[in-house]
Amino acid sequence: MNRELLSKAFGEIDDRFIAEAVYLPAGDASASPERKHMKTKRILTLALAAALILSLGIAGFAAWSIHSSRQQELRTDLKIEEGKPESYVEFPVADADANTAGVVLLSAINDGQEERIYLNVSPVAEEKLARFPEEARFFCMIEGTEYGGFAAPKLPAKLSLSGQDEIRKAVKEYSYDSETQTLTLEAYLMTDVLKKAMQELGTERIPLQVNMAVGEETLCFGKILFSPTEEQHRFFDFGHARYYDRELDKEIEILGLKLTPFSAEWIVHYEEDAKGHTPGADPGKYSSWYLLEDKVCIEAKLHFSDGSTFSTGGAVATPYQDGAVHQHCSWGSAIDIEDVQRITLGDLTLWERASESNFIQ
Amino acid sequence: MHLEDYKIIDLFLERSEQAITELDRKYGAAVKKTAANILRNRQDAEEIADDTYLGVWNTIPPQKPDPLVSYVCRIARNLALNRYYANHAAKRNGNYDLVLDELEECIPSGINLETEYEAKELSEAINRFLATLPGEDRILFVRRYWYACPVSELAAMTGSSPNRISVRLFRIRGKLKKQLTREGFLP
Repeated sequence: MNRELLSKAFGEIDDRFIAEAVYLPAGDASASPERKHMKTKRILTLALAAALILSLGIAGFAAWSIHSSRQQELRTDLKIEEGKPESYVEFPVADADANTAGVVLLSAINDGQEERIYLNVSPVAEEKLARFPEEARFFCMIEGTEYGGFAAPKLPAKLSLSGQDEIRKAVKEYSYDSETQTLTLEAYLMTDVLKKAMQELGTERIPLQVNMAVGEETLCFGKILFSPTEEQHRFFDFGHARYYDRELDKEIEILGLKLTPFSAEWIVHYEEDAKGHTPGADPGKYSSWYLLEDKVCIEAKLHFSDGSTFSTGGAVATPYQDGAVHQHCSWGSAIDIEDVQRITLGDLTLWERASESNFIQ
Repeated sequence: MHLEDYKIIDLFLERSEQAITELDRKYGAAVKKTAANILRNRQDAEEIADDTYLGVWNTIPPQKPDPLVSYVCRIARNLALNRYYANHAAKRNGNYDLVLDELEECIPSGINLETEYEAKELSEAINRFLATLPGEDRILFVRRYWYACPVSELAAMTGSSPNRISVRLFRIRGKLKKQLTREGFLP
């Protein structure tokens, strides 16, 4: 292969990707967007509108309405009723928030590794939003610290999009309300980062600033105080189950699975795991082990009482801790972790719920 | 306070030398970093920055690039790579060769990549792939393989460990390889 041509091919990628990557995630968040009064109103029902208009005012009603309808949409999309996650916290939208706030906290859930925070931000001018994702991005900063996290418009969990145009279209359709110029965001903050910030600030109420970087300009929508939520989890001990993969001719020990409604942490151990996960290790050398790691989280199935099955999918992070690899996977809609009946990997049953007759015996 | 891009471009169009000052003030760090990542030599990076500004001066007008930052960084990268190839003509041991070694893994076996046309096709396929990646993965990938950022720096940037970043990049490369194969990117 001609390496210069390979370099050239990669060198010719779109300007938007090059421009996007030149900026560091933490930006100058001092500038504030222009505030505009919300003139329009959205009426769900005449009766409700009349009552609310009296108490909130017309502009407030439009904003309040979008916040409350977003909360309902999130509940549906995240399968809150179906998946029964106890750790999902929905925050009341205060009247004052509806009228004045640039950031409104809707709900949050701790998925084990990250806190997912759902927010409405406004005003987001349509022409600025049109520059997302290639020239605009969203991020959070914890005031008084150097910590922060990424944010993105909240899109339905099972949407499959390809390319910038489709993403832009979907954002406008599902995440944005043009009447109130309100955008619904999903922000991710690592739980470790939140813990460090709480220690540094000496408070459990985290001052979270939400920003949008458009080109070289950074807009700050405002700040909320956020208390991290509790994690709901279940641990499955597989008692050092061993899985042999014929194709790769390798064996892996599956120690356990920590499951939350939105994430999984597979704990696995194998012959060369320490070497394969030490700093500077050549990923190519351990690629078959990494494939085997992937097989565990992708091919293992959780079986539910209605006969349906679920795969946790590929891992997004695989730290090596305490003599084992911890594979972190996550997904968009809640699963009912109390309803898991069986966990299998190929022909191997890793765990099975004891039947009532077993209890009697 | 930095001038907005269009104002800097106006200065170039007016042939005002202030244009170079403003360009350096705004994008000097990014230009020097791009060159330094490839060349691993501060002196060389400074020289590349000067050559880049000259390149911008000679091409605006007629060009009116938007976004300016990628235009400038692209010139810096090309100049740095020319110098890199000249310095490393006989040997393959520089930092950028590591980047290329990793990139080679993404290319399905059997592709020779011997013509400009093939390179262009590959470039378009990479663009399609990048558009499908989540934002942070895309930034990591571009920072590593376009800006040639060291893994340790990416780790610091994301608050992660170098090993974790290596594994993450390895997985992204795997996805790219899979997509190229799926798109029929085979001879």
